[in-house]
Amino acid sequence: MKVDSVEISVDARANKLRALLNDDGGRLGLITSIDGQQLVTLVLNTTAGTASAWTSRVDGDTYHSLSTVIPQSHWYERTVWDLFGLKPKSHPRLKHNLLHEPYSASVIPLRTGAIAPGGDNHRQYHHLEVKGDGVYEIPVGPIHAGIIEPGHFRFSCLGEIILNLEIRLGYVHRGIEKRLTEVSWRKARFIAESAASDSGAAYALAHAVAIESIFGVEPSLRADYLRSLTLEIERVAMHIADLGGIAGDIGFLAIASSMARLRGDALALGELLTGSRFQRFFVCPGGVVHDPSPKSLLQIRTRAIKLRKDLVSVIDMFLSNQVACDRMQRVGRVSNKLAADFGLVGVAGRASGIKYDARMHFHHGAYLELNPKVAWTEQGDVFARVRVRIDELARSLELIDEILERLPSGSSLLDFPDRLPSNQIGVGIVEAHRGELIHLVFTNAEGHVSRYAIKDPSVNNWTALAIAVRNNLVADFPLCNKSFSLSYSGHDL
Amino acid sequence: MNYGAADTVVAWIVSLFSGFLLPILLIGTIRKVKARLQNRVGPPIFQALFDLVKLFRKKQTVSSTVSWIFKWNGAINLSVMLLLALSVPWLCYKPVSLGADLFFVLYLLALSRFSTVLAAMDAGSAFGAFGASREVTISTLVEPALVLALASIGILTQSSDLDAIFSFSNAALSNTSGIWLLVGTAVILAGLVELSRMPVDDPTTHLELTMVHEAMILECSGPNLAMLECSQLLRMAILFGLSAQCFLHSIPCVWTMTIVSQGIIHVILMFVIASCVATFESVAVKLQWRKVPEFIAYCLTMSLIAGLIAVGGSLVK
Repeated sequence: MKVDSVEISVDARANKLRALLNDDGGRLGLITSIDGQQLVTLVLNTTAGTASAWTSRVDGDTYHSLSTVIPQSHWYERTVWDLFGLKPKSHPRLKHNLLHEPYSASVIPLRTGAIAPGGDNHRQYHHLEVKGDGVYEIPVGPIHAGIIEPGHFRFSCLGEIILNLEIRLGYVHRGIEKRLTEVSWRKARFIAESAASDSGAAYALAHAVAIESIFGVEPSLRADYLRSLTLEIERVAMHIADLGGIAGDIGFLAIASSMARLRGDALALGELLTGSRFQRFFVCPGGVVHDPSPKSLLQIRTRAIKLRKDLVSVIDMFLSNQVACDRMQRVGRVSNKLAADFGLVGVAGRASGIKYDARMHFHHGAYLELNPKVAWTEQGDVFARVRVRIDELARSLELIDEILERLPSGSSLLDFPDRLPSNQIGVGIVEAHRGELIHLVFTNAEGHVSRYAIKDPSVNNWTALAIAVRNNLVADFPLCNKSFSLSYSGHDL
Repeated sequence: MNYGAADTVVAWIVSLFSGFLLPILLIGTIRKVKARLQNRVGPPIFQALFDLVKLFRKKQTVSSTVSWIFKWNGAINLSVMLLLALSVPWLCYKPVSLGADLFFVLYLLALSRFSTVLAAMDAGSAFGAFGASREVTISTLVEPALVLALASIGILTQSSDLDAIFSFSNAALSNTSGIWLLVGTAVILAGLVELSRMPVDDPTTHLELTMVHEAMILECSGPNLAMLECSQLLRMAILFGLSAQCFLHSIPCVWTMTIVSQGIIHVILMFVIASCVATFESVAVKLQWRKVPEFIAYCLTMSLIAGLIAVGGSLVK
């Protein structure tokens, strides 16, 4: 997909973006910068399936924040402040996202050129204080009791009710975006696909689509089908894992353990296709690394049919338990209005009535041809997210069957020159199992990658979690959290 | 009950043996059945014992801010439970008669909880405090149910001494299966709450925010934790034992059997209860915090019915 480049002044962005978001099909992709001299706003047109990058020069280190008019930009502005030292004025809650107190204020990792003297002061961080009679705070994390990634949750509670939740991330910030600009593009895919390991296939695919769009080449139809296949297998495996996790959190152990077993079956499909249960080293720019044998494709098909049958009985047992369904209803609700304001994506968005699925709009894999149906509902509670996952599971398994039925023949890998074209913008938009994943790549005059920006679906949805648990019970937080199934490493990068 | 000297020695040996072994075997059974129902192999049946040995051998980590309440909590709990295990007729045979007034028993249970709640707040962590607050809320609700259940048989036997209640001496009670069943069920339901098991608390969860009992003992480690675990196991054995006693009394033909056969049936009943609890826990869903009182209400209703029948029965007499 080609990206149009548009010059626009910093202050004009607010009105234009608001008009675009009010339009049908307009979406904010991400906000970032290339080297700290400008802001780049990637906007998407879902009706036409196009993207354009608005570049706005920033003079000095500050600019007017968009967050007061366009709430969903608040998180991007915090990240841009950390990585590029550009400070948004009148941002309602400006805090550090990725770089914590031990870093001195003069450390600005991605800024090149003139760096404003920040001094040796260490960065500061203050949690939002909720005051009042009987209000108390529960700090949870960053080290948790289970084997999960690190994140800090600060609950301000009144009795058993959560008044406010502040989420602090950045504990696994590894500098992946910077590293991706340092290695040659041929090696970059190994870093890109390991950035968030449970979305390996989606990350590899977004990377591949972005690099292909820089070269201006599209992969063969067979490669597209195989890419869809790996992405759907990943979606099936992760949705099963998430449903099992939700069942575990409400103490429904029979379902939790059945789902754990079925997730293994789904990962085995990935192993048959790619040789790796987490589907590493398969999708690459130009197509897919190796063409699976007809025998393993046949096996995938029969096993996927068996998996579908096995799933039906487990899901029936899950949904026919009235106490379980009641337990998930009216918990962790996100209204349609808030979901739109904060630009929710993926399952969380579709459970709150946002009918957005990147597979319908943007070219990646063979979806524009396969045309999968969007699963969505409007309730916005934990149960709605469960139901959307269950619907998507069924459709993904049907899709796997359809892909294997229609799989075209031909070559599955194109070759590219070693040098990337200069001064290009490439974008890859992929519907990962969590939602819309964007890789945005800029090349400089020498044909090197000058900026590699990744927007994980979790970036949009972490805020949704904070909204969803407000006025809910403290004991319901883990359930809400699991229903969003957010990625820490995908956010931190 | 009068036995000869030889009988007393045998009773002592059997009681000590079962007092030590039964709690471990009961939790082992629950875990094993749960695992099998989930298609897992599960831990060995004696895993709880291995864990206790491991904990007793570990070093203890104690926060510098805690007082003696926290440090003595394990010991207090264990001594209370040992005292209860000796005095309560949770098995059919009992070597000593310390006297087990039902109010004395219930308030010993409350004493151990009181100590744990204080210790939880002593450590000063947010988890301990809300765990304590939840525990107190639940126990205020469940205490009346347990009192009423046991008291309703007390009304029939005209005694609040549990030894007298469960002695098989009052043959008139052998035909009151209905009450015994009701009381047995009420005790087991109250026991699930009391023991912080499903559907009120999930003993297997790692999620601190949802815990009740586990949140209170998060700060404990080493021997202190081992003693708390021991007393929790004993508490489970005592409550399962009491409930099995009620079910045993509801079978009329058991009344005329010898004490050995009664004891064997009783122990089998305890394992049946453990397996039922395990099955229930595999398919049940943990209740939302707001729904917990509803569950306790079932249990209270059963106790109330048993109580009403008992009062009615004694009025007729």
